[in-house]
Amino acid sequence: MSFGIARWRTAFFASIRPNKMEKILLRNIDVPDFHRLATYESAGGYRSWHWVVENMKPAELIDEVKASGLRGRGGAGFPTGMKWSFVPKDSPKPKYLVCNADESEPGTFKDRLLMERDPHAVLEGTLIAAYAIQSHTAFIYVRGELAFGTTRLEQAVAETYQAGLIGKNIFGSGYDLDVIVHRGAGAYICGEETALLSSLEGSRGWPKVKPPFPATHGLFGCPTVVNNVETLAALPWILERGAPAYAALGTEKSKGTKLFSVSGHIAKPGVYELEMGYPFKKFLEEDCGGVPNGKKLKGVIPGGGSMPVLRPEEIEKVNLDYESVQAAGSLLGSGGVIVMDETTCMVRAAWNIARFYAHESCGQCSPCREGCHWMEKIFHRIEHGAGDPADLDLILNISGNIMGNTICPFGDAAAMPAAAFVKKFRDEFDAHIAEKRCTLRVE
Amino acid sequence: MDPVKITIDGKEVITTKGKTVIQVADELGVPIPRYCYHPKLSIAGNCRMCLVEIEKMPKLQIACNTQVADGMNVLTQSPKVLAVRKAVLEFLLINHPVDCPICDQAGECWLQDYYMQHDLQASRFEVGKVHDRKKTIFGPNIVFDGERCIKCTRCVRFCQEITKTNELTVVNRSDHSTIALFDDSVLDNPLSANVVDICPVGALTDRDFRFKVRVWYLQKTPSICPGCSTGCNISVETYQNHIARFKPRVNEAVNSHWLCDEGRYSFHDLAGGERLTTPLIRQEGGLVAATWEQAFQAVYSGLKGSSSLAAILSGRNTNEEAYLFAKLMKKLRADAMLEVFYQERELNEVEKILVSPDRSPNFRGARDMGVGSSDGFDGLLRRLLSGDFAAAFIVGEDLTKAAESETVRAALQKLSFLVVQDTRVTETSKLAHVVLPAMHFGEKEGTYTNRKGRLQKLNAALIAPEGALPDSEIFAQLLELAGEQNGYGTPEQIFAALAREIPAYNKLTYDSIGAQGIELDSGGGGAS
Repeated sequence: MSFGIARWRTAFFASIRPNKMEKILLRNIDVPDFHRLATYESAGGYRSWHWVVENMKPAELIDEVKASGLRGRGGAGFPTGMKWSFVPKDSPKPKYLVCNADESEPGTFKDRLLMERDPHAVLEGTLIAAYAIQSHTAFIYVRGELAFGTTRLEQAVAETYQAGLIGKNIFGSGYDLDVIVHRGAGAYICGEETALLSSLEGSRGWPKVKPPFPATHGLFGCPTVVNNVETLAALPWILERGAPAYAALGTEKSKGTKLFSVSGHIAKPGVYELEMGYPFKKFLEEDCGGVPNGKKLKGVIPGGGSMPVLRPEEIEKVNLDYESVQAAGSLLGSGGVIVMDETTCMVRAAWNIARFYAHESCGQCSPCREGCHWMEKIFHRIEHGAGDPADLDLILNISGNIMGNTICPFGDAAAMPAAAFVKKFRDEFDAHIAEKRCTLRVE
Repeated sequence: MDPVKITIDGKEVITTKGKTVIQVADELGVPIPRYCYHPKLSIAGNCRMCLVEIEKMPKLQIACNTQVADGMNVLTQSPKVLAVRKAVLEFLLINHPVDCPICDQAGECWLQDYYMQHDLQASRFEVGKVHDRKKTIFGPNIVFDGERCIKCTRCVRFCQEITKTNELTVVNRSDHSTIALFDDSVLDNPLSANVVDICPVGALTDRDFRFKVRVWYLQKTPSICPGCSTGCNISVETYQNHIARFKPRVNEAVNSHWLCDEGRYSFHDLAGGERLTTPLIRQEGGLVAATWEQAFQAVYSGLKGSSSLAAILSGRNTNEEAYLFAKLMKKLRADAMLEVFYQERELNEVEKILVSPDRSPNFRGARDMGVGSSDGFDGLLRRLLSGDFAAAFIVGEDLTKAAESETVRAALQKLSFLVVQDTRVTETSKLAHVVLPAMHFGEKEGTYTNRKGRLQKLNAALIAPEGALPDSEIFAQLLELAGEQNGYGTPEQIFAALAREIPAYNKLTYDSIGAQGIELDSGGGGAS
């Protein structure tokens, strides 16, 4: 850490200790025209970028982000600074920074909001991360369907080029950086970092076999870091306020704030920013207004469609941080909270999710390619009255056979929710099979 | 190289850093089932069949992509590993049509084999199977069955990495993924049929071999491809005394795992045409059947009395035959001009991977045996065509195809005496004064020396038709008639004689050749 940055921080913010309500990622989300460079700069935007380029060495930057405790917000929660530090410094190859804006996890729409409303924060974070690994070309890989977000990012990139914030010899430092916004063709798997890289290379969006890892053999075989939009968007604030300010938020292992996309049977759906460790139940009932229409909660998925569903009694003491959700038997993932009330047919919900994975499996490795559709077909027949009592154990067995045996985490993402629905709502599945029809639908 | 000590199933082994678990297991002889892994292709890691347990690693690891590390303890037979093999096989089979009764691969199918070894459970898949194309023509030699395909991508990688012709790709997603040709492409590169060999299942089958014979009826004889002087190691696979197919045998010193399409299908040439089964002697009105004694006598006196002699040996004749041929011709006329048939052609980039520019698999060996002159084959042919010779002895080649056919015909007609020794009637044999019925490469044993100087062994895969004799026996009999009491018998005995006489072969024995051949200038060879 440098003394320089500490002095600068002292001058502006040192006296401010953020309270629980202070927002980091969504602080400017409602400001009109915030996607414009002028508006962004008038709120202090690109000050961190200036500071980083003019005053910091890449190693100091990496240490600063390590100290902040920032972890990847794409779902895996891997420490960001550590990920950067895996990039070999002495490699003669070019290095690449890729912003993963291929947000496609079911029930997740936080990155989209940032791209559309605060694209410069995403871009500034991308620049800072690129500088940390001394990349001279950064890519922003945007999910194909997010056309508006792509436009906003492209505008932001054009504005920063014009303003001399990126390009050749930035701020006279000798550091060059180009940013390329790339719109994917719309495949869930391209959010997996190595599939994203394959797609960016112009190949079929297939995950790559690891090792080697992207840090050494990523895009075009060169050292590469892939960071999620939300992760990157937190960087300007962290650099502005300093690592300790960020690390002061959250829990011991889950630092800072996190965005949650709330959808389903909930009074106030939307994107929320919470300090890590916020009580799940309180969040749903107070912040989100609870389950509407006097209905009871039946189940909630805390981290996007890939994560195991939780029953109401399981979330009683859960806090929204990586460790607490994991202890409850699910994962924080992308923070896509899907709420289901008592009218939800859990068999149909499981089938819906299974159908998504059966459709999106890239087809590369055997367990996922064959297993996802097999599970989907079984869920389908249970929901449609043709289930067999042995089907439930079969699903658990299939999902167990996929788990951990695939090239990429997609297999786990398909297997975990399937098993969780069957285990946690077994009585409902049994009823479907026994009565040979959906027991919740009003005929 | 850093030595690394690892344990596989309790067996400790010292190996080198950089190797993968599957490579070390293969060296040790520990069986690890695999589909997508092929030693000559990049690692795809997609079939998940080679998952093994490695102590201290939380998940099972694919042996094909896991590099060895010091102290690594690999388990290939643990309950977890056996369970995952069963699971992966089940996944691979759920959408497989199990149409083994009509599948050409049955009997040499890795799904069948591994199912028997690792799965052996009844199907639990009671929902509809995914259907795909059953007989898509990929190219002149290849037909694709999408339902049997396990998407291991060996064929795709072969076309990307070995031939670099990129005809194939994977299309669609999930369990609808399938292999397809790129638009407007045809899988017709000169090595295309190798994809059939590396396909572990019945997805890619050979249009030539398809539906001809069940593989378990095939008799397999290790031999050498007679297509060119690369000398690819092959297995000659026969059924009821007919060649059903050639398959490559792995030999890293020669052809690795591959065989070119031209060589692979060259056996059809052997079977074509009208087979010669009796010696023929020209009488008024044409060639008339004769006994071997009459034929030998006619050849001996015809050649002995000629004023000049051109002797052309086929590039497919063995070293043993070439050795006796050279001896015989020189005995008949000391100034006989000997050559082995040799013509070059242009090769494209893909052919250059494997193919040599000639069609004379043993031209080098024949020259070692003394069948050769300073003018080369082209020089001899030119002289023959310009009428420099009174007599000629041509073995196993139809010269009318070596140059403009009318010119050759006219030149051969002018000869006072022409002996043709071949397996079947050719345009050349029709012009002969004496025709001697011989055996082709599949019917006899002997040795070839390839372009690079590797001595390799042919084995008889077929029984020759009655009436035909091995070339070596014909030469030996004529030698006897010419007064050389030699007692040459089997190819092994002839080889022993030539090894004594030819310096480069001095230290070699017939037995030392083995299934993989031996370099002439290796430890066993006496060549300079």
